[in-house]
Amino acid sequence: MIAMLHDLLRVLGLWRARRGWLLAGALIAMLAALAGVALLALAGRGVSEGLRHGALTGVAVGSLLLLRPLILVRPAARYLERLVTHAATFRALADTRIWFFRRLAERLPSGLGMRRAGDLLGRLVSDVEALDGLYLRALVPGAAALAVVLALAVLLGFAGPALAAVVALPLALALLLPPLLAPGAARAAAEVAEAQGRLRTAAVDPLLGLEDTLAANAEGRAAARLDAAGQDLARTQASLARRAAWSGASGTLLTQAALLGALGYGLAGGPGAAAGAVMGLFLALAAGEVLSGLPRAGTALAAAGAGAHRLFEAADTPPPVTEPAQPAALPTGHAIRAEDLRFAWAGDRAPVFEGLSFELPEGGRLALLGPSGAGKSTLAALLLKLAAPQGGCITLGGVDIAELSADAVRSRIACLTQDARLFDDSIAANLRIAAPDADDAALWQALERAGVADVVRALPEGLQTQCGEGGARFSGGQGRRLALARALLSPARVLILDEPASGLDAQAERTFLETLESATEGRSVILITHRLLGVERPTRILRLVGGRAMPAMG
Amino acid sequence: MSHLLATLLGYGQSGWPDFAAAAALALLAIALGIAQERAQAAAGAAARAGLRRRAFARLLAAGPADHRPAGERAALVVDRVEALDGYFARWLPAAALAAAGPLLIAIVVAFEDPLSGLILFVAGALVPVGMALTGIGAALASRRQFDALQHLSGRFLDRMRGLPQLVLFRRQEAEAQALGAAADELRRRTMKVLRVAFLSGLTLEVIAAAVLGCLAWRHGNMLVGGHPDPQAALFCLLMVPGFFAPLRAFSAAYHERMAAQGAAAALAPLLQEPAAGETGLQLAEIPPSVVVTFEHVSLTYDPARGPALADLSFRVTPGEALVLAGPSGSGKSSVLRLLMGFQRPDAGRLALNGRDATTLRPEELRRLTAYVGQKAHLFRDTIRENIRLARPEATAPEVEAAARAAQVADFAAALPQGLDTLVGEGGFGLSGGQAQRVAIARAFLRNAPLVLLDEPTVHLDPGTEVQVLDSLRRLCAGRTAIIATHSPALRARFNRVLELEQGRAVTSRMAGE
Repeated sequence: MIAMLHDLLRVLGLWRARRGWLLAGALIAMLAALAGVALLALAGRGVSEGLRHGALTGVAVGSLLLLRPLILVRPAARYLERLVTHAATFRALADTRIWFFRRLAERLPSGLGMRRAGDLLGRLVSDVEALDGLYLRALVPGAAALAVVLALAVLLGFAGPALAAVVALPLALALLLPPLLAPGAARAAAEVAEAQGRLRTAAVDPLLGLEDTLAANAEGRAAARLDAAGQDLARTQASLARRAAWSGASGTLLTQAALLGALGYGLAGGPGAAAGAVMGLFLALAAGEVLSGLPRAGTALAAAGAGAHRLFEAADTPPPVTEPAQPAALPTGHAIRAEDLRFAWAGDRAPVFEGLSFELPEGGRLALLGPSGAGKSTLAALLLKLAAPQGGCITLGGVDIAELSADAVRSRIACLTQDARLFDDSIAANLRIAAPDADDAALWQALERAGVADVVRALPEGLQTQCGEGGARFSGGQGRRLALARALLSPARVLILDEPASGLDAQAERTFLETLESATEGRSVILITHRLLGVERPTRILRLVGGRAMPAMG
Repeated sequence: MSHLLATLLGYGQSGWPDFAAAAALALLAIALGIAQERAQAAAGAAARAGLRRRAFARLLAAGPADHRPAGERAALVVDRVEALDGYFARWLPAAALAAAGPLLIAIVVAFEDPLSGLILFVAGALVPVGMALTGIGAALASRRQFDALQHLSGRFLDRMRGLPQLVLFRRQEAEAQALGAAADELRRRTMKVLRVAFLSGLTLEVIAAAVLGCLAWRHGNMLVGGHPDPQAALFCLLMVPGFFAPLRAFSAAYHERMAAQGAAAALAPLLQEPAAGETGLQLAEIPPSVVVTFEHVSLTYDPARGPALADLSFRVTPGEALVLAGPSGSGKSSVLRLLMGFQRPDAGRLALNGRDATTLRPEELRRLTAYVGQKAHLFRDTIRENIRLARPEATAPEVEAAARAAQVADFAAALPQGLDTLVGEGGFGLSGGQAQRVAIARAFLRNAPLVLLDEPTVHLDPGTEVQVLDSLRRLCAGRTAIIATHSPALRARFNRVLELEQGRAVTSRMAGE
């Protein structure tokens, strides 16, 4: 309960920038509800006056005349309320989605780790969507209902405290129901949210590894998993719907109790109480419309709480490397020096580095060799601040990178990772990820250096050709060279190339490595590779052995 | 209740028994409401499950040829199918209720006061007209809304999978803005849908208010002259909310129906087109050996980009391993894709054991093969389960044997839980070479007569490559194998090489030629 409240308050905190919209929506909702009360209060007065005197008296006529503008005010106010509250909500939800992406980029810079992309997608879509209930189905109707109950208590209080008690008390109880019912529905709502996540994962997972799923004839297994997840979702939704139905019923029960209370008051009080009773009856009718849906707000709150919990659970993944509180200024130089590095990916994993040291002067070209699993890519991760060493330090231009912001370090060091992905966008857009302001000539130069310009030139749409997800529209080698072109385009002074030629044919590999020196234009280069062809002309060769770097011959 | 009210106002005779009856009726209405909701929740679950199953099967059958981002395809079977809920659960019952309920009430009212009944009739007839006017725009707007949601899903999933690229090039903020634009587009389109829906709600409320006004006017006027039956007047007025309640539900459900129609718009083509997987022959049993024959095979993905394969002919017999060589983009992977049934040839004949392979269902074709793709995908699961994917009924010793054969056991021994170590999506936690070996272990476990390998030794260091090549030779022994590769070491170990260039066979040689 406390946790749910905490999560929901945090959601409201995220929506602070939209408070103008949100407050306006709640205000209009209160006005619309009060207009409804006024309408029926006047009608009740008119009817009771009229019927009591057997004819339309001055008061009755006055009341009925006042009705006419109110009749139009109410629908108009309702329309405005719906527009404003929904506009406010969807603005807030769009903000939440951007916030979520930013957090993930901050917390999962080196990849999703043990999280599933499909699960995160589910959180972005369904769990954010569930947050709309917090405002649309709980806070707004709650504010409107509060206004109505207060108005009712005041109006009926004039007629008689007893009448106010029998009519307003059940309605006030309806007002209290959402916070009372929400904790009970919390578990059912959490189960729905989890089931929704599982359904999406079950749909996304086989699509991500589609070739492998098909190759293993695993379509049936994937379909069965999706089916089971769908059934799970239907079952949990039904259980939440049952709760919502009971809540709805209790709301109806309370508003009916208010109606009957007014009638009972009239019956018990005799002719003297009739005017008050009719008034109470009409007001209870008006309040019923506003309040009958309110107890359902309990389930909406629970659903929003469950969504918020899942959202924050993913967004609060601890970042792999904490940023320095006061980042040092970026040094002008970019010489790299690693001293006595010690690192293991986890406590229970074997250490990758035990006292690794090396130096890379400005403009140097370091070839880093070693068998697969020796920690070549790990070193790149440490240099890029995707992980922090447990011992020793790395300096960039003489400053410990632990004292620099990750963003500053990455402005100096660019990397072609082993699994560099192309996005579902044009070639030009994919390249400009490395240099947003690069002109077409620069793009062509990078493509030329990566040995893929001819391929792109032969495409009918040239630079505007779509790459497909993960570069699916290109062969593996072509995709790899496009990724290489992207890395070469980066303006960073230090380039890490992790197996730049993997997937290239021997001729293309040799051609690229021969031109490595000119292609990198005097920048510092760390070339990570299994073996050297003898054409790379590195200024230094290191071999990773037993967690240390040993000088080696080509 | 009007009876009671009239009594209060001095026009009738009723008391506590009527009060009790009203209370009982209220309780009955509440109980019926609960029953109705429960029935609605149950309706449609089965229908949605069926639709989802069929749509998903079609997506899988379309395979890699469907270039839409995975997130978009997933949104089809999740969000769109869920959106159909409104149609099954609320539209069908509400439509029935909306026709019957108000009619009944209007008739009852007409018995009390014919003119009041007529007013209700007219109002009831006006409601569908107003809704139809707003509904036309609603379906279109709702279709656009779902397209925007699908686009957002596709983009987010694609970017999440390449998040490190964005972070390393410091483009995460730009991407956040771009995603924000996609989210904003979704908001704008959703608001468009809602504006129309609210407008129809507004129409309904105005009609309701007008009816209330008309009835109040009529009975008010009658009152001036001394109303003949004040109780009937109250009855007519109090029936108005009851008259409009089913219409209100109808209006809401109508818009859900329109939303469902928008959601279904993109599902329909998927469900209508005949699935390739549902036609074609099935294998009675897996043949122990396979002869692969390509006769003048051509394949073009996109006419503007030229053919991927042109007039390609070759033949591979059991016990033979054909190495496909050639620059990247020369069509090596396309050969394997044809044999996997991911693509169909545009011309020429592709035969297995002399029978046209395209007459087989694609999934039957795949039952014959062990395949390691260029970008083999590891699922978020243990290494053991990732290997077992290839043959789920395999025993633990069989999985371990495959792990040993592919040199997985070597590195797994150093992991805290060995083969039961969890790996992340796409092989997170393993190096590129290690993930590649897990994929090769799948091929060992698969134990199929045809072996198709696409760059099996990429990302491997020379030492490991030698070991893996030794086991690959054992894997290929006695089987029919086709291997696409750039690796000189691999070419040196297998006796037949077919050199491709721009989809054509350039040279074909035996080892030592």
